[in-house]
Amino acid sequence: MIDQSAVLLFITVALASAVEATEALTIILASGITRGWRSTFEGALLALACLAVIVGVAGTALVLYVPLYALRIVVGTLLLIFGLQWLTKAILRQTGFKPPHDERDIYDKQVETLSKEKGILRGQRDSLAFAISFKGVLLEGMEVVMIVISFGLANGSQNQLGTAALAALVAVAVMTAVGAVVAKPLTKVPENYMKLGVGNLLTVFGLFWMGEGVGVQWPLGDVFLLILLAIIFLATLGLIAYFKRVHENQTEVEL
Amino acid sequence: MPSGKTLSAVWKGVKSFFTFWKDFLVGDSPVLALGVVVILCVAYLLRGSAVLAPVSTIILVLVLITFAVWQKTKTRRRTPIINTDKEDKTRA
Repeated sequence: MIDQSAVLLFITVALASAVEATEALTIILASGITRGWRSTFEGALLALACLAVIVGVAGTALVLYVPLYALRIVVGTLLLIFGLQWLTKAILRQTGFKPPHDERDIYDKQVETLSKEKGILRGQRDSLAFAISFKGVLLEGMEVVMIVISFGLANGSQNQLGTAALAALVAVAVMTAVGAVVAKPLTKVPENYMKLGVGNLLTVFGLFWMGEGVGVQWPLGDVFLLILLAIIFLATLGLIAYFKRVHENQTEVEL
Repeated sequence: MPSGKTLSAVWKGVKSFFTFWKDFLVGDSPVLALGVVVILCVAYLLRGSAVLAPVSTIILVLVLITFAVWQKTKTRRRTPIINTDKEDKTRA
C-alpha cells in the first residue's frame, strides 16, 4: 500500500525543487547566452556537486548521530520558518501587495548587467560567468538541500532520504530538459501558485514534526497531516480574499 | 602567531558565514523566526495536553501568518511597490 505521507513528501519536495530549478535556470540561461556556456556549465556543475556532497555528508551524519526527536524539532522548526516565509510572500503576491515573481523580468535585468561587463577572448575561461552560475545554483539549491534532508530524515522510522532526493532530482531534470528545449526563461511555469502550494505543505509538515519532536500527540496520527493541510489552506484562501479587498480599497482611495 | 591581516581575514570569513545563515534562515521576516520559536516553546509547555497542545499550536500558526502578512501590507502601504525582488535573492 502506498504511504500517504510519502506521497505528500514526494510532491512537496518535487514542487519546491521545480520552483528553485526554474529560478536557477534563469540565471544559467542569462549567463550562458551573454557570457558563453563553458564557464557557466562548469560553475553550475560544481555547485550541483557541492549540493550533492552536502546532502550525502549531512544526511548520513544526522541519521547516525542525532536522535529522531531532536532531528524533528530542528527540522520542523526550520521547515515551519521556511513554509511561513514562502506563504507570506505568496499571499502578498496574490493580493497585489507584492509584484508577482517574473522570470522574464529577472532574466532581462541579468542579461543587461552581464552584457555591460568586459568581454572575454574566445576559448578562455570566464570567471564572471562561472561565479554567477555557481552562486546562483548553490543559493537556489541550498533551500532544496535543506528540504530534501529535512523530509528525508524526519519522517519516522523509514529513512526516506532516497525518496526525497529522487523527487528533487526528477524535478530538476524535468525543468532542465524543458529549459534546454525552449532555451529561454520558463515564464509559463505557474511559479506563484506553486510557491503558494509549497508554502502550505512546508508549513504543515514543519508544524507536524516540530510538534511530534517536543511530544505533542496529534490526533489520528499521520492522517492529521491532511486535516492540517485543509486548515492552513482554507486560512490562506481567507487571508488572500481579505487582503485583496484591502488592496483594492487602498487603490480606489489613491485613484 | 597569526598576523593582523590573517586575523582580519578569518574574522571577515566568520562574519560572512553567520551573515549568510542569518539571511538564509531569518531573511527579511524576523517576526516569523521569532514567532516559530514562541510556538515551539508553547508546544513544549503544553505537550501533556491532548487537546490544548494541537489546538493552541495551530491557532498560533494562523495568528502568526496573519500578523506577518498584515505587517508587510502596512509597510507596503507606506512605500510604493517597486519590482526589485531584492529580498528574494536567496529564497522563494
